[in-house]
Amino acid sequence: MCTGCALLCDDIEVETEGDKVTVVHAACRKGVARMKGCSEPLECTVDAEGADMDTAIAKAASILRDAKNPLIFGHGNSSSEAQKISIGLARKTGAYIDDTSSFCQGPIVEAILQERLRTCTLDDVRHKADVIVFWGADPSNSHPRHLSRYSYFPRGKERQRGWEEDRKAITIDIRKSETAIICKDERFYQLPAGGDAEFMAALTNALSGKVPKTSFDLDSKRILGLSNIMKKAKFGAIFVGLGLVYSLEELDPLFALMDKLNEFSDFHLIPMVGQYNMRGFNHNLFAETGYINRLKFDGDSKELAHGPENSVVEVLRNKNIDAALIIGSDPLSSLPLSIARHLADIPLITIDPCNNLTTSRSAVTIPCALGGVESGGTAIRMDGVEVELKKIFDSDRLSDQEILKRITEAI
Amino acid sequence: MGFGQFLAAPEIKLKVVTYRDVFQNTAQESSRFGEDYETLSAVIRLDLKDISKLSIKEGETVILRNGSGKVVVQAQKSGYEQAHPGIAYMVNSPWSNVLVPEDTGGTGVPKFKDFEVTVQSARGASVTGIKEIF
Ligand code: SF4
Repeated sequence: MCTGCALLCDDIEVETEGDKVTVVHAACRKGVARMKGCSEPLECTVDAEGADMDTAIAKAASILRDAKNPLIFGHGNSSSEAQKISIGLARKTGAYIDDTSSFCQGPIVEAILQERLRTCTLDDVRHKADVIVFWGADPSNSHPRHLSRYSYFPRGKERQRGWEEDRKAITIDIRKSETAIICKDERFYQLPAGGDAEFMAALTNALSGKVPKTSFDLDSKRILGLSNIMKKAKFGAIFVGLGLVYSLEELDPLFALMDKLNEFSDFHLIPMVGQYNMRGFNHNLFAETGYINRLKFDGDSKELAHGPENSVVEVLRNKNIDAALIIGSDPLSSLPLSIARHLADIPLITIDPCNNLTTSRSAVTIPCALGGVESGGTAIRMDGVEVELKKIFDSDRLSDQEILKRITEAI
Repeated sequence: MGFGQFLAAPEIKLKVVTYRDVFQNTAQESSRFGEDYETLSAVIRLDLKDISKLSIKEGETVILRNGSGKVVVQAQKSGYEQAHPGIAYMVNSPWSNVLVPEDTGGTGVPKFKDFEVTVQSARGASVTGIKEIF
């Protein structure tokens, strides 16, 4: 199983020499790089000096114990078992807890878990989908095997003639992505930045038999053409990418479109989740608390605070936190620098297989095993299907699950 | 090297749209601090008209500035058939994140994919290294 992205491809074979993966079969280039491991593995350190695991864990525990408002962040590259321990640790320490979904696919996953958006599995898409829409998504770059394994090229049970005759793939984006090139010009709808909600409303109008108009003068015949294709779909799937998530201020236009589509057809939606188990974190936190992210536990009481003010971005912006534990993530790279800067001013603990910008600023760094290679567990694929990650070989690095367990015990 | 020397070069305001790239992503898996990751990340892809307005040649460096920060990256042609003056593309990376505004309106979601920068030639200057970013 490759953990390079939330497609979690399960057809990968590897050749190993000792504790190194030397050859990877079937994965995409990103997956090969993931499975072979990084060239700069993380060292176990305390205050930038080499340390043994027990010292690092004791120091991490004391930082979290002393903090009034710690943040626990990351989780997208951890197994569900590790995530559950992390949630327990947040509860115990009265921490803020969040993950990347907080500033990417969170609203979509939440709407699916609340059953406000209809979804399906990638296997359904492979076997049944005849109309596939990539909206603000470019899987050719973000999830390289998406089109070949599930959404466009394969022959499925009810799609024996594959992409040549049996499937229509449409791309809606603000730039002509590589996926748009594959789907061909006549199926590419180019929007101006921020034009998605308006286009969505026009498409919903077209489905209702009204003339679709946009302030950016997209040919109404083309919008009507798209609405006809979607109306006639036997099984439709919309893959929502970050381009769409960032462009919509609220999800109502998407709800309206999906409701309208399902008056005529059978349409489903799947979020293009990036990190391999981001969706797992959302599911696990939701099962325990009813919320998918952006939480603050109150140490002694059972109280929970939830909302944007508890998101990783706002607690950093407002400098609400006095320590942070980062698991399998690099917020100093992935967040705006102006926001992430506060992380460098507080005691940081990072657990990761590799060196990154955040580890380079951390008071405590604890190397962990690479998920799906050196450690196993379960994870939830981008379509909500739970899969099992098998360990390929043992290494001397502990899993993040084990490290989090030890930190919890030490507190 | 100071930035004062670039003051005379023409400057233009551009909207930046960020995107993902599998080659850069692969380089990131191998090393955040590697040369490949920098070469594939510290780049801005421009429309031909904007390149000529800036009086630069493809492959030269430009300095990007806004209220959030500044960073020197390499300028390249976008290669899109359709002209897009006023809009530039950057792969999502720590270099683009230097320029993403802090303001979120309290929503918890920064404007990662859509922000403005002032661009100016930085001929002769080298690209900002990842370790200089922070
Ligand atoms: S598409 Fe994703 S899961 Fe599949 S091989 Fe590539 S990186 Fe790995």
